[in-house]
Amino acid sequence: MDVFFTIVIVFLLLNIAVGLIRVWRGPTVADRLLTTQLFGTTGMAILLVLAGYLEDPDFLNVAITFNVLAILLVIGLVKVWKKKKGESP
Amino acid sequence: MSVLIDSLLAILIVYLALQCLLAPRLTQTVFLFFAFGLALALAWVRLGAVDVAITEAAIASGFLGVLFLDALRDFSFITSGKQESSDAANHSVSKKKPAFLSLPGVVLVLGLGLFLLITLEAVWKVPESGGLTAATEALLPESGVENPVTAVLLNFRAYDTWLEMGVILLGLLAVMAVGGIKIFPVHRKTPEDPVLQQVILFFTPILFLFGAFLLYFGKNGPGGAFQAAVLWGAIGILLHLGGRPVLTVIPRWLSQLLLIMGIGFFLMLGFLLLAGGASLFEYPPSYAGVLILIIETLAAISIAVTLVSVFVHLNQLNKEESN
Repeated sequence: MDVFFTIVIVFLLLNIAVGLIRVWRGPTVADRLLTTQLFGTTGMAILLVLAGYLEDPDFLNVAITFNVLAILLVIGLVKVWKKKKGESP
Repeated sequence: MSVLIDSLLAILIVYLALQCLLAPRLTQTVFLFFAFGLALALAWVRLGAVDVAITEAAIASGFLGVLFLDALRDFSFITSGKQESSDAANHSVSKKKPAFLSLPGVVLVLGLGLFLLITLEAVWKVPESGGLTAATEALLPESGVENPVTAVLLNFRAYDTWLEMGVILLGLLAVMAVGGIKIFPVHRKTPEDPVLQQVILFFTPILFLFGAFLLYFGKNGPGGAFQAAVLWGAIGILLHLGGRPVLTVIPRWLSQLLLIMGIGFFLMLGFLLLAGGASLFEYPPSYAGVLILIIETLAAISIAVTLVSVFVHLNQLNKEESN
């Protein structure tokens, strides 16, 4: 079981590492932002797996914090875009 | 087996930090910084500091996120008034030659080496008694809370927390000093964008409830005033972005009162305790739990209003500059 959890977490961490390519190359801000959303989701998954593995429900609080605040970035970006295109500066 | 996870995490953090500093474009730097914050939060969890992890998650991914996006937009306005490409292609930082070849680079490398050596030396000999953990555990029953972190922050070292709140308030004062205090125009038009309104309608109660949860259970487990404040502040930022500026609705004296409420109550309590013969912030053990909860609630409200004000003032500032 130990090995299983480790493999899952390492796989998720590698997912983050692969996602960095999009941050590096992503032509638009939106591409990069979506990658950070992916990071947030992956980070939450890691936290959930860790919470199950170490049986510590406190980790879930960190996961929920990530979750509820992820929306802030998306809305912030939508507003930035709108203003950049000059609709309502 | 967890060594594998930890080493991977450590490599990721160092790599992200380096990339953050060396990335040629500002957008890359900003988004790499988000990834860095996430990796850092995971590292704090691995180290067992869940309180710090929640704070990192809340501030790095939430509050700093919108501030950075806002700043990014301004940079693109300042550096390129004409080009409307959504990418920040034209504010790449100019690089003359690789940093590690120049004299500052050498100094930097030497300093880093020294720092690493000192860190290694510090990590090498862990104090036998485990630092101040034992002393904290022994006095925990008198502190009125069960979470040692909250006990240290709000009882044993309440001085630090009080001053931290002052630092946050000073940040807002600096923003106001640069940008001026705004009289916000009241928008009477109905907010457009029905999707955004639904999102706000959905997330506002969740953010409030989870913030209150973190605040109340901060005495038993991880959580506390600062984490709750970021979540509550996120409500204000969401409402502001959605076209319902909160600070226009409440009168100015009320927002001023909300801003100084936390630090003011803390200070008055300290002076009352001084007058009663105790030392500053030395709560009577029987009331400590209630007092800490009141302080945390007021502090959370104050910090939340401060964060919203910082964001709103900066946002307002930018709007005027771009016009």
